[in-house]
Amino acid sequence: MTDSTESPDLQRRSGLTRLKEGTYGGFFAACAAITLLTTVAIIVTLLSDAVAFFSQVPITEFLTSTSWSPNPRGGGQTFGIVALVIGTLTVTITAAFVAIPVGTLTAIYLSEYATPNARSILKPLLEILAGIPTVVYGYFALVYITPALKATLFPEMSTFNALSASLMVGIMTIPMVSSISEDAMSAVPDDLRQAGYGLGATKFEVSTGIVVPASISGIASSYILAVSRAIGETMIVVVAMGAQARMPTVGETVLGIPFINPADVLLDSGMTITVAMVQIAGGDLTGGTLPYDAMFALGLTLFVVTLVMNVLSDIIAERYREEY
Amino acid sequence: MSNTESETQTETEASDSLITTDVETGSNGRSAPSNRTAVAARDLNVFYGDEQAIDDVTMEIPENRVTALIGPSGCGKSTFLRTINRMNDMIEVCRVEGDVEFGGKNVYDDDVDPVALRRKIGMVFQKPNPFPKSIRDNVAYGLKIQGFDGDVDERVEESLKGAALWDEVKDQLDSSGLDLSGGQQQRLCIARAIAPDPEVILMDEPTSALDPVAASKIEDLIDDLAEEYTVIIVTHNMQQAARISDRTAVFLTGGRLVEYDDTTKIFEDPEEQRVEDYITGKFG
Amino acid sequence: MATDTDTARIEGFGEVSRVRGIIFEYLSLGASVLGIFALAVLLVYVTIDAFDLAGTSPLWLLTYFVTLVVPFLAFCLYSARDREVTRRAVTVAGGGLVAVAAVFTAIETFVGQIPRLNWQLAYLFVVVAPLTGYLVYMGARGRPGAVGFGLVGRLIGGAAIGLAFSVLFLVFDERLWFLAYTLGIVPGLFAYAYGQLRNSSTAVTAALPVSLVGVVLAVFVRDVLRTYPTTTFIYLWTLAIPIAAAGALVVNARGSRTAALAAGGVPLALAAVVGLFGRAIGLGVGGPNALLVIALAGVPVAVYLHRVFDVGEGVTGLGLPVLLVGGALAGALVVETFGIPTPNSWVSGTFLTEAPSRNARDAGLYPAIVGSVIIIAMVAVLSFVLGVATSVFLEEYTADSGVVGALTRLLQINIANLAAVPSVVYGLLGLGLFANLLGFGFGTAVTVSLTLSLLILPITIISAQEAIRSVPDDLRRGSDAMGATRWQTTKNVVLPEAFPGILTGTILALGRAIGETAPLIMVGAATTVFSAPSSLFSKFSAMPMQIYAWANFPQAEFRYGVVAAGVITLLTILVGMNGTAILLRNRAERGS
Repeated sequence: MTDSTESPDLQRRSGLTRLKEGTYGGFFAACAAITLLTTVAIIVTLLSDAVAFFSQVPITEFLTSTSWSPNPRGGGQTFGIVALVIGTLTVTITAAFVAIPVGTLTAIYLSEYATPNARSILKPLLEILAGIPTVVYGYFALVYITPALKATLFPEMSTFNALSASLMVGIMTIPMVSSISEDAMSAVPDDLRQAGYGLGATKFEVSTGIVVPASISGIASSYILAVSRAIGETMIVVVAMGAQARMPTVGETVLGIPFINPADVLLDSGMTITVAMVQIAGGDLTGGTLPYDAMFALGLTLFVVTLVMNVLSDIIAERYREEY
Repeated sequence: MSNTESETQTETEASDSLITTDVETGSNGRSAPSNRTAVAARDLNVFYGDEQAIDDVTMEIPENRVTALIGPSGCGKSTFLRTINRMNDMIEVCRVEGDVEFGGKNVYDDDVDPVALRRKIGMVFQKPNPFPKSIRDNVAYGLKIQGFDGDVDERVEESLKGAALWDEVKDQLDSSGLDLSGGQQQRLCIARAIAPDPEVILMDEPTSALDPVAASKIEDLIDDLAEEYTVIIVTHNMQQAARISDRTAVFLTGGRLVEYDDTTKIFEDPEEQRVEDYITGKFG
Repeated sequence: MATDTDTARIEGFGEVSRVRGIIFEYLSLGASVLGIFALAVLLVYVTIDAFDLAGTSPLWLLTYFVTLVVPFLAFCLYSARDREVTRRAVTVAGGGLVAVAAVFTAIETFVGQIPRLNWQLAYLFVVVAPLTGYLVYMGARGRPGAVGFGLVGRLIGGAAIGLAFSVLFLVFDERLWFLAYTLGIVPGLFAYAYGQLRNSSTAVTAALPVSLVGVVLAVFVRDVLRTYPTTTFIYLWTLAIPIAAAGALVVNARGSRTAALAAGGVPLALAAVVGLFGRAIGLGVGGPNALLVIALAGVPVAVYLHRVFDVGEGVTGLGLPVLLVGGALAGALVVETFGIPTPNSWVSGTFLTEAPSRNARDAGLYPAIVGSVIIIAMVAVLSFVLGVATSVFLEEYTADSGVVGALTRLLQINIANLAAVPSVVYGLLGLGLFANLLGFGFGTAVTVSLTLSLLILPITIISAQEAIRSVPDDLRRGSDAMGATRWQTTKNVVLPEAFPGILTGTILALGRAIGETAPLIMVGAATTVFSAPSSLFSKFSAMPMQIYAWANFPQAEFRYGVVAAGVITLLTILVGMNGTAILLRNRAERGS
């Protein structure tokens, strides 16, 4: 068979070469590990101070008390997240009222109606909406939107209010809804559309009756992501909404369901979780004090809520990816 | 781009004739037939997950010859080729049992570095895949990564001549390899493969993405290459196998090696009925 | 995607009502442009406020419109050389004038005054601005336009990078840099070049260790040495000369040795003369910063000029800078002669070069701009290195199955989740980890940069992964089959192909970092600092922080003037960065 006089050298390379390869691989792995460490660091940082906080303020009080006043003049700090949650919900829901319909319609237009040319112009323009620094949006809300609303629709509006901040948050999150939803709609196979047209459906019927239901999980996941983004949004609300943790008056409807007059929360100033954090950070950063720890407790709340929403959105989105 | 016309003008009729089994085969008159084995497979089984792609193949491939692997698609001939230089390592679900010997050494031994192995075995792919670099850098690529200390330019010229491309590109060595025509790109890939002076060249359907004229040029080139290298070529084109190879291995479905013999024998008087059916087009 | 159904309308089959469909289509079109429209209106207003255009005399606008805008548009039309485009432009410009004036007058008569807007401004924003955009786009397709814009881009970009470098040396020790460059980088480069020329792999391998040793040596020598060359000399030796050499090499590679010497030598000489003797011979400019700006703008321009003359097309486009400067000067002359009142713009030289002040007219953004530049530079380096390394690991070094596969998936999910963590939370991380635990200090450049790097890291990684994934697998297999190791394939084949995409993604992510405010507040960055920072550990502010601080000022002068100017400055820098990124991407797409 073989004259193995000159059997080729197939041994592993010399030490230096292998060391070189190993060094590069190790370096890349180490860099990749930094992303994991970041998550760990976030959790540890948040937890360590939050635990210190909850050892002094019972978690039940934190979750149920309606008064937020970390640095009162006369003493007697209270740390109740409820007022902040109401502020955050106000902004999030109002922003969703803007971003969800507009974003969905935009996605339908881009995916079903727009010519390739129009799409290539509209998509980058929409991305700009997400690229504007949020402090600039906040400034717009404070300096242009609020006076404009005050002069026209709501003369009783206060300088700092939830409505203009929420409108800006909504506009900022439009591209989030539109781009993910459009991806989902574009992933719907053309066969389904053709089947609809074959049955004599109009384009409107195909878009709303076939494409949207077929991509519903992708659309839903985009909504969740947009809402999660709105919950974490900081600068717009800090600049335009003011910093007054207020409990709105809760009325009761006929059926005994608690009811809050929207104008009560929208036209006046309020405070979100993020604003409360920024407000504490503006004063005291050296650590060890109760408000400092409270900041981390709020951060932890925010982190957990957004994380849960992202994971949820991921799970839902996974479903549509599997379908096609 | 500049050479596409001249290419189409020459040898237009070369590929037209439909060569069947009675064509003059093999016997390319290569001098000094060597009896040495370049690559040998022993009881080779390859699995993709649960699916068996190569079923118990044993064969010895002679040095400085052209060996063709033919068979219907999905028969495992490409898998076999990739098993030789361990390109299948890149596929995670792929599992290899048995030996593949190269120069008497089992390439699946633990102490074998697949990277070192591939430096001894060149490979040419179905679709020409020159790097988006200059022609010179494409050919010099293997030299560069292997830390070649000699005269790079000289070796580039030699290799391009060896790939019958030098005359066409000698004035544009700094232009991109992607500017060449498909056939030229494939010859550039061959030049790239022979530049580090490997012992074996594996070719995975190297002409199937080319027009007939460009393909015939590659065929001529393969004939020349066998003077210096062991060439193992996978082809779906039986006429091609008949024209260029000295030995032919026929794989049929399930990754079984059905017959392996001199090309003349396979095409004129195969032992197995199935092989004859396949070659005459009754099957596959 | 869309299949046309208009053919359904055949007589005899009846008709399906389209009303709902048509309403829906226009509704969705409206929704698509709603956000963009709202933003555009807001941007118009902030522009008007920042430049005080509302109080500008129409004559002033007219003057510059005639001397600057009209010649520029004419240049674009000349470059486009398309009768149809010219016809369209003239129609829009003329028809728009009539239409805007009419509509505006109608609104003012029947509805009421629109605040801070007159029909001239409306014409400017509604007709002229989009028309300019369109014509720039069309003009850039013609050779002269492409050449002209390329030249102006290099002039502005080079000058901006030169200024950015000079800002960086406010906090980085230029003498240490001088030593590290001389002792480390130069010998290393020489070793590398020698190795490449003589095919000596030992020399190539030695380059990196040589550099490292030199840099370490520099750190030790820094405090031992007493005398150093002046800053101008340091910039000349460490920055201007290598850039000129690089420019010369580029031209040389295109074939001409004389041109190479000229392309490197002329800008270098000019930069050296102005930098060293500019003040002495009464030029009015000089010193290290002038040297940097001239070298960084001059060398790319010289290289570009060589190419333009080499190709020989669109040479007339080189007149564009002359046209613009000439137009501006002519406008200034007319304004001066006829005593036309100039607008009292809030964006001005003082605003960009002065410190903040209680008095709105004296307030400036300079320390915040410096802070932003330094932070962005550090974030760019950190996130680029980490982002590329991580994405290479995820795309090239991992497996799809087994333990490694599971780990990869975990990393991937983790990165996706990190991308969605609110920026305030990153601020808390920076506060707890970098500022308090590791003691980098509250609001220092180090703390801020590290925090922002982690913040944009997921975005950088995701875009770099996309770029790497888009490299065809054929090339990887080609390289593997040659016996390349994983790193060799990555370095020689994958990264060069993916580089433009990676760069684009990184710049876009940096755009996010430059506008971030909340994490800066959380780590205690100063809202206002009155002098530019002098070290990496001194108190920092950044542009968005300063905007945030000013937005809280109750005075109208701040709200509608100073902040607007700050917003315009920030957005201009952002647009510049993103524009560069998009140009890079388009170029790479055209190239491949």
